[in-house]
Amino acid sequence: MTFQTHDARILEVKELTSREKLFTLRFVDPELNRSFKYKPGQFVIVDIRGFGEFPISLCSTPTREGYFQLCVRRVGRMTKYMHKLKEGDIVGIRGPYGNGFPMEKMEGSTLVLVAGGLGMAPLRSVLWYALDTGKYEKIYLFYGTKAYEDILFRDEVIHLLKHGEDMNCHVKLAYEVESPSCIYLEKGYSPRVCKGVVTDLFRGETFDVENTYALICGPPVMYKYVIKELLDRKLSPGRIYMTLERRMRCGVGKCGHCIVGTSTSIKYVCKDGPVFTYWDALSTRGLI
Amino acid sequence: MRYVKLPQENFEEFFNSLKNWGKVYAPVKKGNIYSFQHVEKPSEIAFDYTRTMLPPKKFFVRPKDEMLRLKGGKWEEIDGVEPVVLFGVHSCDIHGLEILDKVYLNEPVDPYYKKRRENSIIIGMSCMPDEYCFCKSLGTDFAMHGFDLFLHELPDGWLVRVGSVKGHEIAWENEELFEELTEEDMRNFREFEEKRANSFKKHLNKEGLEDMLDLAFNSPVWKKYEKICLGCGNCNMVCPTCRCYEVCDLWMNAYEAVRVRRYDSCFMETHGLVAGGHNFRPTRLDRFRHRYYCKSYFDPSAGFNCVGCGRCDEFCPAKIEHVKVLDEVREGLQ
Repeated sequence: MTFQTHDARILEVKELTSREKLFTLRFVDPELNRSFKYKPGQFVIVDIRGFGEFPISLCSTPTREGYFQLCVRRVGRMTKYMHKLKEGDIVGIRGPYGNGFPMEKMEGSTLVLVAGGLGMAPLRSVLWYALDTGKYEKIYLFYGTKAYEDILFRDEVIHLLKHGEDMNCHVKLAYEVESPSCIYLEKGYSPRVCKGVVTDLFRGETFDVENTYALICGPPVMYKYVIKELLDRKLSPGRIYMTLERRMRCGVGKCGHCIVGTSTSIKYVCKDGPVFTYWDALSTRGLI
Repeated sequence: MRYVKLPQENFEEFFNSLKNWGKVYAPVKKGNIYSFQHVEKPSEIAFDYTRTMLPPKKFFVRPKDEMLRLKGGKWEEIDGVEPVVLFGVHSCDIHGLEILDKVYLNEPVDPYYKKRRENSIIIGMSCMPDEYCFCKSLGTDFAMHGFDLFLHELPDGWLVRVGSVKGHEIAWENEELFEELTEEDMRNFREFEEKRANSFKKHLNKEGLEDMLDLAFNSPVWKKYEKICLGCGNCNMVCPTCRCYEVCDLWMNAYEAVRVRRYDSCFMETHGLVAGGHNFRPTRLDRFRHRYYCKSYFDPSAGFNCVGCGRCDEFCPAKIEHVKVLDEVREGLQ
């Protein structure tokens, strides 16, 4: 049934920052576990029975089977409850929903991942997918956070910052608030770590526009500025993908909360997105 | 389509036979308001009603609707769909239901909506427009499908159009109540329709409406109405095509909870609010404009998201008129 959720057991809870936790889950039904396929950029609806539902993007990669991961920021009533859950607890899951990133179409190209804050979560799925499959020429990760302490998947990101070159993965970090840890990083890996915002990381970078795709996820305010940087470098709007956030209640294009656009073009972010190109944003008002 | 005549003297028997198909709901007058209510006899029905406050969508997408029941940590589907016969549905509301069908029956199918649609019989009834109706402008003043039977008023009975297999079955079972149409009946039918077509007082200029609106995104008219609109969301509640809903879990007792969905309105501040406090439609201007864009969106397979029933005008406490707003936006552009 459309709105019935499936039992999933929490295998592991890992504290990422003071606000975010990473939940590793697996469906209780082994058959469902096998058949659960998803694409980077898709999301699921988490059902805390008796409390409600909320949408959350998958931050694990489909190349690693048998489990999936959700990065949850404690920000409201539901996520506060989610943060109280422990290993072994059960939640309901339905999905995956949404269109996801066109990973196959982008094979052989360079990927520029631009993440702001929690936007790292869906892009981590892309990042690991690209690293696991090895089908992409080069991967850039530009990641902007408030502070060093806010870097999500810090171990992974810093590992890639240090050793990513071997895997054709170039990581650059920007932070807004200084702390001893960032200064240590900045000293070691300057100029790939800097104080500033994510757009500062574009400085001095050029891309082969014929063979590059940009994938963006971050807070609403970020899109406009990042897109400007990309357009300045002559990247075509069709090569700019962004994954958007809206109040997705049902996840399947019924409840109407995520409708964007005007009389000429109405889109459901949950069903027609959440991944859109910049062309879509040009023809659908209110998308970004 | 099959056309037959139901003489007035057979109406009561026909009406009683409908009870075999389900609980019969028909428009009933309560104070100054009409609403679809359970009826036992024809005398309860308000045949000359203009519009009910809540459209027939309330039978398929209920104002407060239980979806799942939590028992022993597991969700159970809530069953209990009763067959209903909706008698006296106007053409605009039939079109409204078809727009809802496009949303709810599209993949993935909404199981609750589908079950209720399959368990319902729609009997249409002709009507005369009042000062609020503008369905003719939108082409929703006549229904060609979406009903089982459609009753058109004749001086001595009803001209019945049979619109579905179920409709045929009803007519088949009551064969003795129906007659073949005469030339006079057809003349009367044409006269009634002509009179009806000439009675519309309101007209919406829908030529290039979607583009016109899109161009007028920054029109001062939106700003003018933002100040008049009370943001109450009445227009959403009574609209036959508005369908936004909110979901919440409610505890019945210490062991049982239900997942409920209820009507939501895009005029509410929380409609575009996401966790963390960012609102994608923070001002009333954004929300007011959004409703007009949503209603004026043209779906090639379903038409406009508005059927011109006039409910939003009649039940707007600020007396905002849908057609007038759109006309003013258009004028502002020229």
